[in-house]
Amino acid sequence: MIALCCTDIVAGYEPGLPIVRGASISVRQAEIFAILGPNGAGKSTLVKAIAGLVPILSGTVMLGHEDITAVPAHRMIGRGLAFVPQTENIFANLTVADNIDLAASIMKVDKRRRLPEIYDLFPDLARQKSLVAGRLSGGQRQMLACARALVTSPHVLMLDEPSAGLSPRLVGVVFDNLRQVRATGVTIVLVEQNVKAALALADRATVLVEGKDRITGPSGDLASDAEIAALYFGHASAGKAA
Amino acid sequence: MLQLIADGLIVGSVISLGAIGVTMTYSILRFANFAHGELLTWGAYLALTVLGFFVALGGAGPMQPIGPFSFGWPLLAALAAAAVMTALIALLVDWLLFERLRGNGTAIVLVIASFGAALAMRNLLQFIYGTLPDYYSREIQIAIRLVPREVMGGMRITPDQLFVLGLTAVTVVLLHLFLTYTTLGKAMRATAHNPALARLTGIDVRAVIRAAWIIGAVLAAIAGVFSGLTVQIRPGLGFDLLLPLFAAAILGGIGSVYGAVAGGLIVGLAESLSVPLFGAEYRAATAFLVLIAILLVRPTGLFGERN
Ligand SMILES: Nc1ncnc2c1ncn2[C@@H]1O[C@H](COP(=O)(O)OP(=O)(O)O)[C@@H](O)[C@H]1O
Ligand SMILES: [Mg+2]
Repeated sequence: MIALCCTDIVAGYEPGLPIVRGASISVRQAEIFAILGPNGAGKSTLVKAIAGLVPILSGTVMLGHEDITAVPAHRMIGRGLAFVPQTENIFANLTVADNIDLAASIMKVDKRRRLPEIYDLFPDLARQKSLVAGRLSGGQRQMLACARALVTSPHVLMLDEPSAGLSPRLVGVVFDNLRQVRATGVTIVLVEQNVKAALALADRATVLVEGKDRITGPSGDLASDAEIAALYFGHASAGKAA
Repeated sequence: MLQLIADGLIVGSVISLGAIGVTMTYSILRFANFAHGELLTWGAYLALTVLGFFVALGGAGPMQPIGPFSFGWPLLAALAAAAVMTALIALLVDWLLFERLRGNGTAIVLVIASFGAALAMRNLLQFIYGTLPDYYSREIQIAIRLVPREVMGGMRITPDQLFVLGLTAVTVVLLHLFLTYTTLGKAMRATAHNPALARLTGIDVRAVIRAAWIIGAVLAAIAGVFSGLTVQIRPGLGFDLLLPLFAAAILGGIGSVYGAVAGGLIVGLAESLSVPLFGAEYRAATAFLVLIAILLVRPTGLFGERN
């Protein structure tokens, strides 16, 4: 079963200046799929385009059997696709509870059933419901961003660098959360700079270079492929060391 | 002294209600709408027109003032009708003008367009209603002495002025409850904070924009009627309030509804208290002195967010 299938996506911020240049990815039901690649490869632009935030110039996005290429961003969550951007992914001016409630109210989620599930998954948030979200720590912000996206029970959850700016311990916590989410049958697509951790988490991955998917395969194969490591991950890990 | 404070709070109520609209369009549509003052004027005149219909239909009977006020139920009904019509005007101007510029225009294009809209709206109003001032009622009100003269100069206030203060407080509380507890209110705050994330949360930003226009225009109509009730109805009513409105919105922290309310009251008080100090002709300038002083201490305004 293919949960999300993007074919030959061309997307960019200005006409005549494509950033994503013919990228294709195919993500299976309930797998964790990582999008890797050097800085500026167009990873963020690709996921934003899938989510409807950046115009798609050509290509198609299929969510299950539905074509969602032209669906506006605010309708995506109703179709079952949720997206957590890399930065500014919570409403810092609302309380923790309101961040989660808002998406639930708009999508008419059965809150009595769903909210306890969400707070079970993120017990840290359950303890701080009435706190203004802007005062959360980095790790808790990331959890809130996930909770906000998950409250409507999406089929596919996309995240842009959920580990960015977090300590190794917190990265572990967030990735554990993602494993739990996947265990409930949610398909996860995540963009990562942190190649080692991402390949350890993901079932399969693709390496995006200059807006095109260069290599796709099971994480184990990619991790052990010395040539790929030298070619693409060398860049990313050198960037991290700097 | 007490009298000046009372006068300042009444002017401040009108400014607060208008400034809420300015700050709301700014935070959700991201531009300074210089046509907002005209919504106050239109609100005041539309209420006058509706009131005229009531008089034509019912004669003097229903015009009997309620209790101590200078107006009867028809004015309240006219206020409600004017609020609805002013909201329609705001939506119409948005549909005709601002919506077309939002996609590709920058904020400055929208600001300049709003100057144009203001001129068009004011000229249309003068064309329809003429330029002479008018009143909702010719009744002369007896001011009630609330505080005896011996206490800090005393304080006298007309029933209409008390009505303005009371209804402003009720309106602000209702708006607060709406923004804090309803889904649409939370969606508006979310959109003001981060429109892209709002869309990802399933919020239809166009619906939020419509709500912002409607609320801003309804409050503008109320402010316009209040100004007409406590001063007089003039074609320049809204335009003359425009600078105080912006001073109040910026003073409170642009984008903050509570800031707009606080800013409006401060500007009203500053204007009123400055009269014995500098003379009536420098009234308007004092608002800006206060504005500058507060921005020097708090560049984001009283309730502004730091980013
Ligand atoms: N909002 C934007 N407007 C215009 N260009 C952008 C914008 N965001 C990113 N870009 C450009 O798109 C390219 C790819 O960026 P991005 O998709 O963020 O890469 P990655 O996430 O792989 O690091 C970069 O060259 C960047 O300058
Ligand atoms: Mg990126």
